[in-house]
Amino acid sequence: MKQDQDVLLQIEDLRIEGYSDEKWIEIVHGVDLTLKRGQVMGLIGESGAGKSTIGLAAMGFARDGCRISGGSIEFDGMELTTTSESDRRALRGSRIAYVAQSAAASFNPAHKLIDQHTEAPVHYRIRKRMESQEDAMQLYERLRLPNPQEIGFRYPHQVSGGQLQRAMTAMAMACRPDLIIFDEPTTALDVTTQIEVLAAIRDIVDQFNTAAIYITHDLAVVAQMSDVIKVLLKGNEVEEADTETMLKSPKEDYTKSLWAVRSFQRDEKKRPENTQPIMSVQNVDAAYGPVKVLQDVSFDVYPGMTVAVVGESGSGKSTTARCITGLLPPTSGKIVANGMELPPSYKQRTKDQLRQAQMIYQMADTALNPKVRICDIIGRPAAFYGGLKGTKLKSRVDELLDLIELEPSKYYHRYPPELSGGQKQRIGIARALAAEPSFIICDEVTSALDQLVAEGILKLLDRLQRELNLAYMFITHDLATVRSIADEVVVMKEGRVVEQGPKGEMFTPPHHPYTDLLLSSVPEMDPNWLTTVLEERGVDNIGEAANV
Amino acid sequence: MSYFIVGYYALLIGASCLAAFYQKRGVFLILFSLTLISFIVGIVGGESSLWFITLCAAALALAAGTSFAFREFLVIVLPTELSKAVKTAPLTAAFGLFVIMTYAIAGVFAPIIAPFGEAEVISSAFAPADENMILGADQLGRDLFSRLVYGARNTVGLALTATICAFLLGAVGGMLAATIGGWFDQFMGRLVDVIMSVPSLIFALLLLSIFGTNVAILVIIIAVIYAPRVFRLTRAVAGNVVVMDYIEAARLRGEGTFYLIRREILPNSTAPLIAEFGLEFCFVFLLVAGLSFLGLGIQPPTADWGSMVRENATLISFGEITPLFPAAAIALLTVAVNFVVDWMLYRSSGLKS
Repeated sequence: MKQDQDVLLQIEDLRIEGYSDEKWIEIVHGVDLTLKRGQVMGLIGESGAGKSTIGLAAMGFARDGCRISGGSIEFDGMELTTTSESDRRALRGSRIAYVAQSAAASFNPAHKLIDQHTEAPVHYRIRKRMESQEDAMQLYERLRLPNPQEIGFRYPHQVSGGQLQRAMTAMAMACRPDLIIFDEPTTALDVTTQIEVLAAIRDIVDQFNTAAIYITHDLAVVAQMSDVIKVLLKGNEVEEADTETMLKSPKEDYTKSLWAVRSFQRDEKKRPENTQPIMSVQNVDAAYGPVKVLQDVSFDVYPGMTVAVVGESGSGKSTTARCITGLLPPTSGKIVANGMELPPSYKQRTKDQLRQAQMIYQMADTALNPKVRICDIIGRPAAFYGGLKGTKLKSRVDELLDLIELEPSKYYHRYPPELSGGQKQRIGIARALAAEPSFIICDEVTSALDQLVAEGILKLLDRLQRELNLAYMFITHDLATVRSIADEVVVMKEGRVVEQGPKGEMFTPPHHPYTDLLLSSVPEMDPNWLTTVLEERGVDNIGEAANV
Repeated sequence: MSYFIVGYYALLIGASCLAAFYQKRGVFLILFSLTLISFIVGIVGGESSLWFITLCAAALALAAGTSFAFREFLVIVLPTELSKAVKTAPLTAAFGLFVIMTYAIAGVFAPIIAPFGEAEVISSAFAPADENMILGADQLGRDLFSRLVYGARNTVGLALTATICAFLLGAVGGMLAATIGGWFDQFMGRLVDVIMSVPSLIFALLLLSIFGTNVAILVIIIAVIYAPRVFRLTRAVAGNVVVMDYIEAARLRGEGTFYLIRREILPNSTAPLIAEFGLEFCFVFLLVAGLSFLGLGIQPPTADWGSMVRENATLISFGEITPLFPAAAIALLTVAVNFVVDWMLYRSSGLKS
């Protein structure tokens, strides 16, 4: 497969500076990287590690507010740091291609997929327009997109997220580049969709013997895709080794800590006897206008327990949460809290009913008002429900900040944009706790976070549950999270509950076929996992696998 | 050849050489093209045209110098957070702030600054400037400078009040429409469409001839005419904020509409609203001046820049520049406000590089 072992990309002592607070600060401190033809290198690390910055630098490009300040980048014998901008531009798109995290944001919504696909080859006079269209259809077929002859003539919003990401990969292949940089191509996708995209990318990179840099923070994914793994931390290289060695025997402590993240697990709790459920969803149907989105959804949440609601996007998980909070009044069925039926709309509920059920959001960025100080964000619910004022309010806010492990004196007067993602999520938790609820809905609370940070949040939630006897409804599509924190699991698909039960039962066969598909789609650390799964499912029907 | 011309070219050429030597391409290009233009202008228009260029350059340099000094002054005087913002302001914005401050002082302290009363006849009609009246007299023999100073108070004061009223009306309506939504939003939107469909000057003339011209009615009419634009902007900005999760969180907490608007939506829409305030102020200002010029604005003998232009307009045909002074006062304030608004727009758009 890889006969051609000469060096394609050689980066030495790469230094990149970023401009902030009116001065240049070094963000990548001398990283070396050697990539051979046809080789796939995985770059991993948490956010701020400089993964994307290094990936872009491999094209001789520095994003706005950054500059390459030292070192050399040699691509196929050409020194990119000293060549002219126009020469570098000629390389990009034709010999080096880039696949971004969000395909939806990277495609121009006003043009058809195939027109965007043919743009680069026609521009570089590699192919005529018609030839290039033929080629696009062949690539679509290889990437197992449905209707390869026809799909290119759709607009980006007319195809699904996973298909769009594959079309993006096809587009990167349009000029048959020597190097493709994949920047978190599957992070925004569901597990079931992710597996299709991963398989497609791996196949095509193999077939054309293209070298690739695969940037991700998901270790299990990188284990499937790459020949070599390089671990980065705060702009420094931690270690580099081939995938097998790296997985089996990491040398550095930091790498070991990354590997250990998935080990957090909590024993399953049993339903408490002789108590009524704190929140009970009974035969709920809901609709957005004429479109039915929930059908006959029922489940119970008992005090001190965590119920995980899983399913891919569009399965109605978040809609169920909206029904419980009263944002979307159900068309039929009841929401019962502590034996009392709640009014369908939040507008009719009493202050105390509203206080009982709180919510933590997925995107902490949009869930916290950027123009309000932390003390007011957390203090408002305490003042609103508890009527606290003055020093009493301040001591309550301090207490809450202590509870979420943030130092009160340091964070009291700050604004949300001054905090990191994990800290923001903690403030979101504190805001929910300030209302002294008994039931909290956690809507994908960890999916926007790095693994180490997410782990911290999960541990915090677990500790709070034990201390305050909270009940959680945990909405997620990440089964690793379910495995670590849930007591009971509800699997949803297309607005219906497919299967539900205690965690132990749910993770042991036999499963409902859909649960099975979800479970088997979660990437594992074994580098041969993808191959095995694909063999089990039969490679050819991978496109349909998600539609079972 | 006079010393002036020799000095003029020597200075320009020397400066261009220095700029070229220190590799300041932009500066060099400006200086040297000025030199080349001066050759042509000098041959065609003679020494006086070169004097004119020199005076313009001096005025520009003076304005830049004043702006720079004023900015440094503000940085020192203002509290830390504001001074940080001012420090990064471009010179144009500093110039705008300086002009606005001068106008404000002139308006507030008009009776102290003006040497004569607003309606005091002190000399013959259209008397030329002398040591008493630095800008001469108007068509009734009143001191033009004193009337300019009083005009700052009347015209700007009226425009400011009207703009603030328009903003209160439009912004409150827009935020309510965005927050409440549904039929209220539709109703407000259509109402605004109706008002906007009539050309503003004609609408104002119509209303003024129905209700008569006094200051209170003028303010109300202008506020009604300009509120729709503010409404549309506010509704759009607030519409983007209302869909955020923190608004949902506040709604689920059981917060009332007033709290939502005041604490959650307003802080997130101030920047575009302030910028819009500056722009609207200019439009309102021009409308007031225009109405006065047509005789339906502020009534005599109250000093007002728009009517001053009209009253002295006949002088223009005699080659006098007197009527241009109030017009220049209007133009300068409009430019100054726009400079400041540009800076605020730049800051709120977040484009920093």
